[in-house]
Amino acid sequence: MQFQSQAVAKPYFIAAIGLFIGQILFGLIIGTQYVIGDFLFPEIPFNVARMVHTNLLIVWLLFGFMGAAYYLVPEEAERELFSPKLAIALFWIFLVAGALTIVGYLAVPYATLAAVTGNDLLPTMGREFLEQPTITKMGIVVVALAFLFNIGMTIIAGRKTVINIVLLTGLTGLAVLFLFSFYNPINLVLDKMFWWWVVHLWVEGVWELIMGAILAFVLIRLTGVDREVIEKWLYVIIAMALITGIIGTGHHYYWIGTPEYWQWWGSIFSALEPIPFFMMTVFAFTMVNRRRKEHPNKAATLWALGTAVMAFLGAGVWGFLHTLAPVNFYTHGSQITAAHGHMAFYGAYVLVVITMISYAWPHLQHNAPASNGRAQLLEMWSFWLMTVSIVFITLFLTGAGILQVYLQRVSDTPLPFMVVQDKIALFYWLRLWTGVIFFVGLCLYVYSFFAKGKETLASS
Amino acid sequence: MDTPLHDDTGALPGDFAIWIFIFAELLVFGVFFLAYAFARANNVELFNESQLQLDRISGAANTLVLITSSYFVVRAVAAIRDDDSRRCVHWLAAAIGMGSVFLVIKMFEFADKFSAGISLSTNTFFMFYLSLTFFHFMHVILGMVILAAVLFKARSGGYSAASHIGVETGASYWHMVDLVWLILFPLVYVIH
Amino acid sequence: MSETFTKSMARNIYLGGSVFFILLFLALSFDTLGALPKRDNRQNITPQVALGKKVWEENNCLGCHTLLGEGAYFAPELGNVYTRFGGSKEAIMGFIASRPVEGIPGRRSMPQFNLSNEQLEAVAEFLKYTSEINSANWPPNVQG
Repeated sequence: MQFQSQAVAKPYFIAAIGLFIGQILFGLIIGTQYVIGDFLFPEIPFNVARMVHTNLLIVWLLFGFMGAAYYLVPEEAERELFSPKLAIALFWIFLVAGALTIVGYLAVPYATLAAVTGNDLLPTMGREFLEQPTITKMGIVVVALAFLFNIGMTIIAGRKTVINIVLLTGLTGLAVLFLFSFYNPINLVLDKMFWWWVVHLWVEGVWELIMGAILAFVLIRLTGVDREVIEKWLYVIIAMALITGIIGTGHHYYWIGTPEYWQWWGSIFSALEPIPFFMMTVFAFTMVNRRRKEHPNKAATLWALGTAVMAFLGAGVWGFLHTLAPVNFYTHGSQITAAHGHMAFYGAYVLVVITMISYAWPHLQHNAPASNGRAQLLEMWSFWLMTVSIVFITLFLTGAGILQVYLQRVSDTPLPFMVVQDKIALFYWLRLWTGVIFFVGLCLYVYSFFAKGKETLASS
Repeated sequence: MDTPLHDDTGALPGDFAIWIFIFAELLVFGVFFLAYAFARANNVELFNESQLQLDRISGAANTLVLITSSYFVVRAVAAIRDDDSRRCVHWLAAAIGMGSVFLVIKMFEFADKFSAGISLSTNTFFMFYLSLTFFHFMHVILGMVILAAVLFKARSGGYSAASHIGVETGASYWHMVDLVWLILFPLVYVIH
Repeated sequence: MSETFTKSMARNIYLGGSVFFILLFLALSFDTLGALPKRDNRQNITPQVALGKKVWEENNCLGCHTLLGEGAYFAPELGNVYTRFGGSKEAIMGFIASRPVEGIPGRRSMPQFNLSNEQLEAVAEFLKYTSEINSANWPPNVQG
């Protein structure tokens, strides 16, 4: 660790992993409810458990992004963080607000939560991924602004590297686009249209900048390749991501009442969306192959390469699979969407946060460039367990989706939704058991933090 | 004319980064053109009928305008290879001027269509016509911005015969914009 | 001449490309806002529909169902439920009101939300309004 203030990243990473565990537990609950419909009913109905599953994902990824920023910005800017105290204060505010929101979801009916948090005054609740009470949303904005201030002041006073600038742009975009979550018109079409300005422009826009910056930072450290080379490819890759991704929003505007020209614009641009992900894969492997040193943290290299490959498969390939309007006409809102969502989020964002944690943790905890060999081995096992699991979860959901689409939408005698769900239950069982293996992988990952090795570490 | 307009090293002129951008743009237009062909094949009558409402004269005029502008850009590159910044600036200004002529003609054409109540939602043909031409229109503006940036740097003596990659970079982009129009015009305005 | 590939040019392409496509996206969005009145059934947005949307949101219906294909995939699509239920608001209201509090053994069941009659009518009216949005013929058939 080069700067003392980088240590504020530590609680952020711990919180991220803690919430990740919660996310997967609730994933297992809703996976079970898919096959045993009355599981935990009526105490934790599906909608509540799913909301906890998705909201925890978003919150822990945000914790991960913030932790990553606190770790990498001082090192890139070559100065201490503007205010470590502010960073710690924001950590507790965000954690408590997040925890209260989750408790609110679980403790009282959603309608009661809406009533007590004053949803009447400014109704923003009840939309997918944006279910948080309005006051929580405002809290998120405040935390995000204070965080940006802290990071921004550090960058302004220090060295301005491409990685810092791209990261700051991405984080600013994240905060600005979130403001659209406060716009909830009664007109459903307008509501949906601008809802995507948050959701799509996050995950297929500004989050990719954050992901690119984190990956570039880690690759420079791990491979020793010239910063100049990595930074210019970073620019090119994120340029391609935005060129294809911004108009790519159109692939959500096919069937929600928006004009039909979006079927063409959306199909054309989103068909090109795999390109930046493919470039990122080639880029990551090329940099590792051209490495100028052997970094002792092998696990971090595995996570980084895994990010590039899985992001390409999940976001690129599985996205392309159903992005063309004539295909999407049949697959829209089916298990195909769920398949894509799982692999894309895991590949692009879960893995990039873990990559950062894997790289930074030895510095934060042991003041060493790498954990002991046994810990790294456990980390690599957890990588393979979780990654292979998510691949199979995706394949099973794709199988379920293809059958669902055929039985419910394509065949000459379309069957009702629930009838089809019963017929494809086998796939949901397979998905559930694969989810259990994923959870085992996650437990192994957590255990790797506590694993003691025989060899002593050279301090960095 | 002793300056070769072509160097034989086989390397792409200008900065490689612009070529990544150019390839991406050509890919987008290429897919767009394919989509047009696909949509037209399913709806030949509608396309032929709607196409008659287009103003081919202004389209043809704009083709000449863009080809001329590309020639001016070629002259600008030749001038800087002769180490003549002043002449380079003049040719660039002429090219940007032709770009403006293109924009003005195009705006008259758009105004005509809009006043006839034609929009992106009129039918599939006009969806493609407006999308492609407007998308290209924005590229012309971007190309002019790039040429203007090159012009200002050239005027302050930023380029020389030995070092003028920036001029080649801008020229490459402008030729791409021209090239796309040379496909777009016959495809959308003429082929029946 | 050797090939050059500079960081500053890569940056220009990132900045220029982003601004270009943001502007294009804004232009298309602007056109969309102009085209929506003909498609989004706004003439039928009554105070009752507005209440219905609020009830829909405050009970997190999207946590199980899809609406025009967006939401969770645990329960049926509701964008066309009005059509699927034979154009009957009463059928929608009756279904929601009659959900068993303790669920159905072994099966998925919609929770009992204890909605008032006014709320039930509003939700049904909201779903009727939604079914009349021009969604480019989606879903492919009445099963959603």
